[in-house]
This record gives sequence, C-alpha cells and structure tokens, in this order.
Amino acid sequence: MEVKKIIPPLLILVLFLASWHIGALIYNLPFLLPTPFAVAQTFISDFDIIMTGLGLTFRAAFTGYIVATILGITVATIMSLNKILERSLYPYAILLQTVPVVAVAPLIVLWFGFEIKSIIIISIIIALFPIINNTLLGLKSTPKTLVELFDYHGTNKFTSFFKLRFPAAIPNIIAGMKISAGLSVIGAIVGEFIIGSGSEAGGLGVQIIYAQADLETALVMALILTATSLGFAFFITVSSLGYYLLHKWHESEQ
Amino acid sequence: MIEAHNVSKHFDDVQALAEVNLDIATGEFISIVGPSGCGKSTLLRIIADLVESPDAVIVKPNKGAFVFQDSALLPWRTVQGNVELLMELEGTDNKRSKAAVALKQVGLNGFEKSYPHQLSGGMKMRLSLARSLVLDPQYILLDEPLSAVDELTREVLQEELYDMWKKNKFTAILVTHNIAEAVYLSNRVVIMSPRPGKITDIVNIGSSLGFKERTPDIRTTSKFSKVVNEIAGKLRTWK
Repeated sequence: MEVKKIIPPLLILVLFLASWHIGALIYNLPFLLPTPFAVAQTFISDFDIIMTGLGLTFRAAFTGYIVATILGITVATIMSLNKILERSLYPYAILLQTVPVVAVAPLIVLWFGFEIKSIIIISIIIALFPIINNTLLGLKSTPKTLVELFDYHGTNKFTSFFKLRFPAAIPNIIAGMKISAGLSVIGAIVGEFIIGSGSEAGGLGVQIIYAQADLETALVMALILTATSLGFAFFITVSSLGYYLLHKWHESEQ
Repeated sequence: MIEAHNVSKHFDDVQALAEVNLDIATGEFISIVGPSGCGKSTLLRIIADLVESPDAVIVKPNKGAFVFQDSALLPWRTVQGNVELLMELEGTDNKRSKAAVALKQVGLNGFEKSYPHQLSGGMKMRLSLARSLVLDPQYILLDEPLSAVDELTREVLQEELYDMWKKNKFTAILVTHNIAEAVYLSNRVVIMSPRPGKITDIVNIGSSLGFKERTPDIRTTSKFSKVVNEIAGKLRTWK
C-alpha cells in the first residue's frame, strides 16, 4: 500500500488518542477512564490473560466462521437448485438474522453445555445469514447469455455449477464472508458472556466480565481492543483472499 | 441444410412469432433483419433449442455454435481458457493445438494470458468467434454479434466474418439490425415484420448484387446501396 493512503486514517488515530489522553487527564478518574498509556501497559502486565483469552476466542470464532462459511455456501447452493427449495428455506434463513442472539444464547448453553461447543454454535448462528444471502444472490445472477451458452452445448447441471455458476458467484461469496468475519468474533464474545464464570478458563468475553467485576477498566479496554483486532484480522485475511482470487478479472478488486 | 418449420411463439398474451417457415441450404449465409420486437432473436433461439416452440419442427446438423451479442466470455478465464471452454464442454481432443490455430486465425495469438476485460470489444468478439470455430461447426447462429463494437471495427469484423465463412464453410444464420451488414455478408436476407413476427420477404442478394466475391470496396458501389435501400424501404413499411 502507498504511504499516502495510510496517512489520513493514521492522523485520525493520533487525534483520537490525543483527545482521549487529554480527557483522561482532565477528569482524572483512572478506574473509569484510564489513559491510553495505562491501557497499553496492561498489554504487558496482563499479557498472559490477554493471550489465553485471545487463543480461546480465536479457536471458537475461527471454527464458527469456517463452519458458517461452508454451511452457508452449501445451504445457498441447495436453495439455488430450484425455486421451491428456495421458497421453503429462505424464510428460515432470515430468522437466523432476526433472532436476538443474546436472548437465544442462554438456551444454546442450556442445550449444549458450558463448553466451547456452545460458543461456536452462537458464532455460527450470527455469521451464517450474510454468507447464505450473498452466495444465493451470486448463484442466481449468472449472466443470462453465459447460461444460454452452457445450455446450448447441453452441459449438465454439475459441470455448469463448477465451471460457471460457482466461479461467477465468488465475488458475492467473498462479500458475504467479509460481513461475517467480524460477526463471528462478536458471536463468540456473546457466547462467552453467557457462559461467563461457568467455564474454567475463559476467552476474551469471560475475561472482560472478570476484569469489569474487579474494576480493572484498563484491562477491559485492552481486552475489547484485542477482540476488535481479532475480527479485523479475520476481515483482512478474507480481503486478501478476495484480492488474490479476483484482482485479475473482477471490477471490485481492480 | 437447416429447416425451421411451423415456428410460433407466445409470451403470455403477446404473439411473438406466427408460423415462420425457413429453409437454409448447406453452406449458405442467411441474415434475418427486422424491427425491434419482431422476434428474430427468438427465432434464432428456437432454432438453437434454447427457447421452446412446441409445434415447431427443426432440422439441423449435429455440430453447431451460437455466438452471442455480448461475446459471452468467462471473465475469470484467460483468452486461452476461453477459447478452450467449448471444447471442454463438448469433450473435444487436441484442445491446445486447435486453440492455437483458431487464435492465430483471428489474430489473438500473443494474447493467450490476457483476461477478457483487457481486450477491446472487437477482440472479445474475435475470441468469441474463435471459440466457436475450434468446434469445426457445420453451422453457426449469430445473434447481433457486432452490435457492441464501433462502426469502423464493425466493418473490419464483417470482412473477417466473411473470410471465416469462406474458409471454414459453415452454414450461417445472422440476426442483425444493420442492413448493410446483412447485404455485405449474406446470400439471402430474410425480412421480418413485427408482432406477430412473420417473414414478409426474402431478398436474394447474390442475384441482385451480382458480385461473386464480397470485398470492402463493393460497399461504395451504387448496386450495393440500391439493394440496401430496397431492403430499408421494405422495413419502413411498418413504421
């Protein structure tokens, strides 16, 4: 990336940190609003807690994300096979999006236990819909003349899918995966919040609850920052994958 | 020989085609002209078996190709990948060498690794034609293939298409809006009327034009413009 492109967002960051620092000094209530330096220090002093939390949350969120991606693409593919299947399944896919995950999470924990399994399931629920929806959109919008070209040559559905419809849908699949990248981490944190102190070693969400109870605001902030960065890292990874797959031929990456 | 008999088509309540009958001799170049909405593209798609017409009787050779208005290239494949596409779908042997010959014929050798978005409109259409030629088709159906390119490129492509037809000896059915294009390329020009689409006239270009070979300079002759104007006059009847 060019240096010129990094300067504007970097400037915003510096401005933000500066006003935060000044605000923290003026109000002088370190247990409510620690300075950026205090938060930075926590990354060193509580390195072990943060890393353990990050590791556990990463495991849950990453598993959830991968499962949601595979499941989402599979469900969308099934829906794209015919109109009746799409009409039968799509309303339930929407419910995935409209269900208040925070409210359903306790039920999931009740059913699947105070384990990483529950956290993964909550992460899947929240990350699934954007992938289903975007993949379906992509599979349904194959250019008409290309469909006619394959039909003219009597291509079977299987070959048409792998040589035409699926590759044509990749830009949409990547778009869906970008939306779900952050969501999968949010889902994992929600799951960890519900499990809370029920689990022995906790991910970032569990650590946030502990730190908040101890009024360790700097640690809370450090943990939030870590969780945010995790989602961001997922996003960047998928974006790079998208660039790698699309830059040679698709407008979105040129 | 291509035969299309009793071709009718309804879209809901609108009758798009009414009992069209058309016989095309082997190796003949036929153009279909007519105003928008006369069903000429639909007729071509019924011949191609892309659109249903329950009562129609279509007889055509086994090996054919269909060339679309927008080139219909796969954007994620290179020129090489695109020229091999139809051979993959048809299970043709010796893809590499056939692709190389066809790309050379249309002047796209050296562009094998390029992607469609890097090509001009004319080059895309050449690629689309090359991809069809590698199948060694007995007939090619062309649906307004040159309508997306600029006027100068269009005339060059008409000449190239004519040379391809001469060299590869396929039967051709071309749907076009451009009367001069139809006259330049065809043995016969089929004129259709709108709603319901019917064949109202068939002009034998070979006899009325009197040129054995079509070369670019015939476009400026008075005989050529006379034939173009005659067809234009017949088309203007429905305005």
